[in-house]
Amino acid sequence: MSELQDTARRLLDEGLVQVVIGWEEGPRGARPVFVTSAADCERLIFDARCVHNLATFLNPRRSQITALGKAAVVVKGCDAKAVAGLLREAQLERAGIVLIGVRCGGVAGEPATLAPPALSAETVSARCWGCDVREPESVDMLVGEAQPEPPVTADLDERVAALDALSPAERFAFWTKELSRCTQCYACRQACPLCCCERCIVEKTEPQWIETSPHPRGNFAWHLTRAQHLAGRCVGCGECERACPVGIPLGLINRKLQQVVYELYGYTVSEDPAVPAPIGAYATDDTQDFIE
Amino acid sequence: MSRIGVFICHCGENIARTVDCGAVAEALREHPGVVVAEDYKYMCSDPGQQLIKKAIADNDLTGVVVCACSPHMHEKTFRRAAAQAGLNPFVVEMANIREHCSWIHDDRGEATAKAIDTARTIVEKVKHNKPLQTIRIPVTKRALVIGGGIAGIQAALDIADGGHEVVLVEKEASIGGHMSQLSETFPTLDCSQCILTPRMVEAYQHPRIKLYTWSEVEKVDGYIGNFSVTIRRKARSVDEDLCNGCGDCQAACPSRRIDSEFDAGLSRRPAIYTPFPQAVPNMPVLDREHCTLFKGRRKGLAKDACGKCKETCLKGAIDYDGQDTFVTEEIGAIVVATGFQLYDIGREQPAGLKGYGEYGYGEVPDVIDGLQFERLASASGPTGGEMLRPSDGAEPKTVVFVKCVGSRDPEKGMSYCSKICCMYTAKHTMLYKHKVHDGRAVVFYMDIRAAGKGYDEFSRRAIEEDGAEYIRGRVSRIFRDGDKVKVWGYDTLSHRQVVVDADMVVLATAVRPQPGIGELAQKLSVSYDQDGFLNEAHPKLRPVETNTAGVYLAGACQAPRDIPESVAMAGATAAKVLGLFSADELERDPSVALVDERTCIGCFNCEHVCPYGAIEHRDVCDMEGHVCGHVAYVNPGVCQGCGTCVAVCPSKSVELAGFTDDQVYAEINALAGW
Repeated sequence: MSELQDTARRLLDEGLVQVVIGWEEGPRGARPVFVTSAADCERLIFDARCVHNLATFLNPRRSQITALGKAAVVVKGCDAKAVAGLLREAQLERAGIVLIGVRCGGVAGEPATLAPPALSAETVSARCWGCDVREPESVDMLVGEAQPEPPVTADLDERVAALDALSPAERFAFWTKELSRCTQCYACRQACPLCCCERCIVEKTEPQWIETSPHPRGNFAWHLTRAQHLAGRCVGCGECERACPVGIPLGLINRKLQQVVYELYGYTVSEDPAVPAPIGAYATDDTQDFIE
Repeated sequence: MSRIGVFICHCGENIARTVDCGAVAEALREHPGVVVAEDYKYMCSDPGQQLIKKAIADNDLTGVVVCACSPHMHEKTFRRAAAQAGLNPFVVEMANIREHCSWIHDDRGEATAKAIDTARTIVEKVKHNKPLQTIRIPVTKRALVIGGGIAGIQAALDIADGGHEVVLVEKEASIGGHMSQLSETFPTLDCSQCILTPRMVEAYQHPRIKLYTWSEVEKVDGYIGNFSVTIRRKARSVDEDLCNGCGDCQAACPSRRIDSEFDAGLSRRPAIYTPFPQAVPNMPVLDREHCTLFKGRRKGLAKDACGKCKETCLKGAIDYDGQDTFVTEEIGAIVVATGFQLYDIGREQPAGLKGYGEYGYGEVPDVIDGLQFERLASASGPTGGEMLRPSDGAEPKTVVFVKCVGSRDPEKGMSYCSKICCMYTAKHTMLYKHKVHDGRAVVFYMDIRAAGKGYDEFSRRAIEEDGAEYIRGRVSRIFRDGDKVKVWGYDTLSHRQVVVDADMVVLATAVRPQPGIGELAQKLSVSYDQDGFLNEAHPKLRPVETNTAGVYLAGACQAPRDIPESVAMAGATAAKVLGLFSADELERDPSVALVDERTCIGCFNCEHVCPYGAIEHRDVCDMEGHVCGHVAYVNPGVCQGCGTCVAVCPSKSVELAGFTDDQVYAEINALAGW
């Protein structure tokens, strides 16, 4: 912990950055914090409750944050992949940010606790299953102790497989039920580090592709469009699902997309921004099976 | 308020057989915004077009929908007619009720209903059409020809004779290409050099052709009419202005054991060399890889290990310190004529190819490929035109020719037919028999493909007059047996095994595109097929164009081609280039993409997926003029309107003129009945 605080303090002291974006102790577990003075660095923490993907705050269109000056961001493996996504899509310049990597052994499924829970197959977040990044590589500095692999839980994949096993009608019924609760509050979008458009497609009115009233028709259009836009870009950080006030299992959609993108393009989200994502790549030998 | 006219074509019986055109007209007459709907037997005929023009004038139409064939067929026709009647041509749209409806359906009732739906959909789209203006872009009237083989030379000459400057780039030290290596050419058996070298000289001396040999295209920027091409002039080590081609340097060079590329490895050349006596320009190049001096320099020797050529040169033309230089040429059109290479069936195989180790190539010296045979038969070749085999210089009394080595063999080679081998093998047997009267020429073949003027007669002549023995079947193994080359084959017509004790074997190896064609294609944004041949825009109707406007294809870079075809293609590209250069400005279809700079986030996914390189970066400035971001910009001169950028744009900030979101949305709504 003190290593993280010391690093942040040094960055601020030396004027290398003007703000350090990290986590602090909140009333209901960890919460994001924007530390702008060296004295406040003692507030910084990192433990299994630090689920928030802080890359979200690097969106260049969040002017209240960019106004703070050059930022250092504390990143877990999944967060580093999101930063790579922003770099890949020219939303950031690598030299314009400092990345403080934290060694992460998984985060909690229920992070709103006063003390960090011991991670087990029951308590670990579903997002961590299959995560192979103990130490993010693309960072400027790395802090914390070496971490074990997160406890194994195939929860998300099992649920995706169960959905895949349903008939189309049953699956449609499942999603109709889930999506009927959506109020189109767009918390999922706001929490997503890669939803960084100036004007979201849902706000486009001429023509209005997506019905914005919380009717299943518009809800389907919204979530399917969002899924399409995140295919091959989603890092699986699970923040959309955590942000959803009505508990829609968006993680299922994201995981299914990851599987499809892998099957079609052999691509898994990379921490290296130089590796092109399928959406931003054109190759003459791209599969065209979908035309047949 | 929209005033749309709908015109339904019977296309004779093509549409009317399955679609009740009268019923379509009747239904559309009731459609909101439609003021006139009529059907006619041939809408594309003169009376049909007059009908449309009159309706535009009489009804003051704001939009026209022609329900007929594919827009590929007649959209231009009807847009032109509408323009003549004073309407902006881009408010005219086609509803395809032929290819998409009448031709593929049998049930008249259902087909009619579908035609009505199709028409309504397009009517709704046209309500959102905006008048567009043809894009006009200036044209630089200079052409670049890449490759100085027969196709490139011909294209350059035709364009230059048409009155425009040409930059001809050749990667080797001389122009001439493969044709300069050939002995005689089918189907007339005239001497290849004799018909080619005058063309080479003509190209060299042409006042409007600028020739860069020993040069390669490094970078291509820009778009049709406005390319900026950077050419790498590889260090020749010989000053082209000073050298008089005397050849003293070549005589002085002590490194004399280097395989001659021109003689396909059948003779040796010095390190400083003119590729062949008739080379154009007649000027040597120093092969730095094999030169003793440069080998020494690479080893870091303090003192140059040689320098004989420089000492000998009376003109002081030798320059050991020259580096690659770059020149940039402004170009309006590009002809690609990079030609082919032969499939290398040696031990070392390119990725993905298995090779033909069983044919003993590279190990048995008397197993050679077609190009090597050309050199053996050539009067300018290593044997002075005498038929002598490579191993011991003896006259081969039995020569086996094996066709389709690498071609038509998806398992081990390429699936395509290399096209020229049937003819050149027939020619080889004749050349051989003309030189060795008592010799045997045995040909193993799969089929004889001799389509072309005088081609079948030619291959028959090889068999019937010159006595070549044609055996239909493949060869399983070729190996050395004493001073003989044993060929095991199978005659599939008589179903018997055949063993030939040959003195020499000639493999008709497959034609493949030049190495590096993929990188060149990427520089030019031209696509290529799985075998590496460059793709034409349409196999029938646009065979020498590519999907990148202003880039044309001549010769064997597009597919295996013989000389007449390469020359014909070259002439065709020249016609296209001259047509392009005939106007000062170039008109382009305005169906191009346009970026909304207000909502573009500059992720540049569009740039990565654009097959044409049409996306550029533009700075966005704040009120004080400081750059505060970047957005995408579509260069309308380059954009081909494919819409890929529209599909990938996450923020829906790109629209395709003529296919805007509004228009597509209206179409979907019309179909959904909303």
